Amino acid sequence: MNCNELREYYELFAIGVAEEPERSEIRAHLNRKCEVCMAGVKKALEMAAMVGSAADAAQPSSKLRQRILASAGVETRGFRWTPVWAMATALSLAGAVYFGIQARRDAGETQRIRAEMGLQNDEMRAQGAEITRLTEAFAILNGPDTKEAAFGGARPRPPRGKVFLNPTQGVLLIASNLPPAPLGKLYEMWVIPRGGRPVAAGMFQSQPDGSAMHVRRGAVDVESTNAVAVTVENQAGADQPTSEPLIVAAVPSGASPR
Amino acid sequence: MLLPILLAIQAIRGDRDLIERLQRRDPQALAELYDRFGRLVYSLILRVVRDTAIAEDLVQETFLRVWNRSQGLDAERGSVGPWLLAVARNRAIDYLRSAAGRERNAVEFEETDHPALFCDMEPDILRSDKTRRVRAAMEKLAPNYREVMHLAYFEGLSQSEMAKRMGQPLGTVKTWVRTALKSLRDELGVAVTS
Ligand SMILES: [Zn+2]
Repeated sequence: MNCNELREYYELFAIGVAEEPERSEIRAHLNRKCEVCMAGVKKALEMAAMVGSAADAAQPSSKLRQRILASAGVETRGFRWTPVWAMATALSLAGAVYFGIQARRDAGETQRIRAEMGLQNDEMRAQGAEITRLTEAFAILNGPDTKEAAFGGARPRPPRGKVFLNPTQGVLLIASNLPPAPLGKLYEMWVIPRGGRPVAAGMFQSQPDGSAMHVRRGAVDVESTNAVAVTVENQAGADQPTSEPLIVAAVPSGASPR
Repeated sequence: MLLPILLAIQAIRGDRDLIERLQRRDPQALAELYDRFGRLVYSLILRVVRDTAIAEDLVQETFLRVWNRSQGLDAERGSVGPWLLAVARNRAIDYLRSAAGRERNAVEFEETDHPALFCDMEPDILRSDKTRRVRAAMEKLAPNYREVMHLAYFEGLSQSEMAKRMGQPLGTVKTWVRTALKSLRDELGVAVTS
């Protein structure tokens, strides 16, 4: 059979219900790397994924996560947080794009970022206009081509962002979709050590377009940091978070930057 | 400035970063994978097997399988979500078939959830707004078309098995399947290569 005769069967093949002779024919085309059939089957797999994702949403038991991590031989880290914080973590992990410098494989890139961070901070002091230039980056972050993970929280437009931790330079947080905190309030960043209480890491405000960048300069023990979070607090700041976090970035454990 | 560009690129590389970490067997990557897709995977499996305890077992099997086979995924262009759902569906259908004493065919699962096939896919196809569109498209189908789609996608029936189940001639079922798939494709704007 030629590719055109097989077109109608890509979807059935993709979900494993194609019958003979079409199944063997498509298989043969794939085996000889037929580009037409390869592309067609991929499209069909895409559609299968979409149909699969449309099943009525159901919630597995909360123990399942731990069970899976344990069965994979993965040690679960103790989140000694109140349920609200734990819940917020689960929710924002689904949507927030987070990133820890120590997870980077490319040592050269780490060096470059470290250099950039120093440069960035110096330049920021010199010219506050740098923020405006960052909006270009946020425009890209918000662009239609930007990959966006599904978010399970109540907010329709969750804040997105990244956190960079550097043992000698400090912590950099960037966020978008973070509307400016209301009058009299500001955002406060928290560095949360494993098994410890959140440590205040400075106040900041976001731009009218919802973008924000906040740097906590100074050494940080990256290895023992569990997460970085952001809450809304009174302008004066708080010693401990008083509201639900809007951003929680879990810091991957393991290899530190080389 | 390099930094903004760097940051933007990393945001786009969200999947890539996750895949690379899975391949390095970074434990946090498995946790993140579960946090991103656990509910979706569970919902799909539950839809197929209709038993919460069995569904959770199969979710576990799915994630372990993906965790152990992530090396086959293309780190640059791989689509981890669609792959995970394919593995999940195959696990669930395989369970359903064995429970019903129906024919099981491991080979076809190997070839339809092979990680290498899951690359160059549209980003964001699993976003909730897309999911709503799929649901709406399914609901727009005439009842007989909807039924064949459900039997194929969620019960893993072949056209011959559907014909038997629905008490319809095979030719009729084939026409229904063809029409249903076409309208679903049109509705979802899935471009079919010519
Ligand atoms: Zn072909």
